[in-house]
Amino acid sequence: MLAKQVIEADVLCIGGGIAGLMAAIRASELGAKVVVAEKGNTLSSGAGGLGNDHFVCYIPEVHGPDVMPVIEELRRGQLGARLKDLEKTRVWIEHTYDIVKLWDQWGIPMKYRGRYEFAGHAYPGDSYPCHLKYAGKKQKSVLTKEARKRGVKIVNRVMLFELLSDNGIFEAVGLHTREGHLIEFRSKSAILGTGTVARLYQGLTPGWMFNATRPGTLTGDGRIMAYRAGAELFNVETLEHHAGPKYYTRSGQATWVGIVRDPQGKPIGPFLKKPYRKYSDMIIEVNKGLFSEYARSGKGPVYMDCRGISKNDYKYMQHWFAQEGFGAFTDHLKAKGIDLRTNPIEWATYGMRGSCGSVWQDINGQTSIKGLYVAGDETTRSISPAATFGWIAGAHAAKWARNVDAKASTKAKALIKAKASFLSEIMRREEGPDWKEVNIALQQIMSEYAGSIRSESLLEAGHRHLRRLKQEARDTVIAANPHELARVLEVLNLLDLGELVCIAAKERKETRGQHNRMDYAYTNPTLDKYLIVKNVDGQPVTEWR
Amino acid sequence: MPPVIDQKNCTQCGKCVDICSEDVFYGSEKKKTPLVTYPEECWHCNACVEVCPAEGAIRLRTPLPMMVCYK
Repeated sequence: MLAKQVIEADVLCIGGGIAGLMAAIRASELGAKVVVAEKGNTLSSGAGGLGNDHFVCYIPEVHGPDVMPVIEELRRGQLGARLKDLEKTRVWIEHTYDIVKLWDQWGIPMKYRGRYEFAGHAYPGDSYPCHLKYAGKKQKSVLTKEARKRGVKIVNRVMLFELLSDNGIFEAVGLHTREGHLIEFRSKSAILGTGTVARLYQGLTPGWMFNATRPGTLTGDGRIMAYRAGAELFNVETLEHHAGPKYYTRSGQATWVGIVRDPQGKPIGPFLKKPYRKYSDMIIEVNKGLFSEYARSGKGPVYMDCRGISKNDYKYMQHWFAQEGFGAFTDHLKAKGIDLRTNPIEWATYGMRGSCGSVWQDINGQTSIKGLYVAGDETTRSISPAATFGWIAGAHAAKWARNVDAKASTKAKALIKAKASFLSEIMRREEGPDWKEVNIALQQIMSEYAGSIRSESLLEAGHRHLRRLKQEARDTVIAANPHELARVLEVLNLLDLGELVCIAAKERKETRGQHNRMDYAYTNPTLDKYLIVKNVDGQPVTEWR
Repeated sequence: MPPVIDQKNCTQCGKCVDICSEDVFYGSEKKKTPLVTYPEECWHCNACVEVCPAEGAIRLRTPLPMMVCYK
């Protein structure tokens, strides 16, 4: 198995989600030769593949000339924890209106009945609601079309799994997930937009792994490739969780026009008493863990209760459900005779999404490796920053590619040879565990030893188990075809990430957010810092910044 | 297990096979009714249902572990 094909570009976008496509469009507009390498199909891939109905946006004519009060208010919602960096937040927010106008022009309707409509993700009485309702159902096909229109080459069904920065050139190795051959990508600049991390922890339905808020194919490929290539990661120990309907996991909690109530019908939060289209129940953003807390204490279950919704608001909610990509979910409700106007739906805190932090980046998305950029979920987990920082990273990558003095890589050949031989060996094996078996074992260990309950001894033991599992997997895992081989590569990436989570979680000797250290049961204000982890000569090294 | 294809209505155009990012239809052949090879990898994004030009040719069946709980 050798690289059958070499694809060269000025700018290589790894992952064709919202960020990757926006980066590709921008870089291409600025004259770069751009290739998008996508594991699935850009028409449906990534967290934006379902659709969406909220786009964070600051419009001076609506919100006033000063952006600061808008940012302050936004920080009180679910994105707050990721908006600490004021400069970056400001850059994002100030770009949003331009993106909104572009998208609208391209055919993603950003207006509702001819005007900008803000609803959801806001507390009653907020002065600057900035979550724009938009019809994002077809956003991926529109962006794909716009990219192609500008000459961007999109290569679907290729999983990039190894990256090398050498002599000013990026070499990436990809596996064609249908044909099984390797593809070598050579570029002067690369942008990682491979999304967040699914399948690292047990989800709400451990027996049904792909039932998650993000696509199960997002396995942190870009992040771990960047790490192996020498890029710094930060706050890898961070855990994130989400909440939504039980057991049918969906994002989009703020699309619901309803009240979160206990079994006696009492609202859990103080914000809303009656469903009203302008507001989602913000108690969810205050504490997404409340659903499992109520269940654990015996006070649950907790319901999303849309009873009392007006006829027009019900229609309004259904309209946005469709844009958010709830089609399969609403078909299911219909098939089972579940009517949201009369049936409260149980909600759950979903299992750990395992954010595993992000790749270290500057305001332009540049990582600690010159010419390597990140965007999308690596920046802030939301469509609007994905679009914005994709756009920004695309511009910077194009500029970098114009000026860099790139020479041929001296290490690429050996890397590809080694990878080809490893993959061939896996394909030759006739007996052994498949990717799923490895993945289940990984999730067990992560959830039990490095989940929301952590301590030095648990993390030590978990790390030990992971190392053994990784070795065993590398030596024995099998794959019947290229599709399964790609899943194997995903799980191997997850194993590497899992190890880093254990290492960083051991180092962060405090409790912060979902990182609960039983042996350090307090938040240490002096550790309100970035915990960096990087690969130094094959060994993970941590550093506080 | 999602998706479910009705052979009677399927026009074998392959659009569902093309659009699925999880590639649950892996191994399907051109101009033949698609195979649902990896149903448990479905994300229920509905892209295959929405792209299908034929009425009643494809639907998603919600697996039991994903049943919606209500009162």
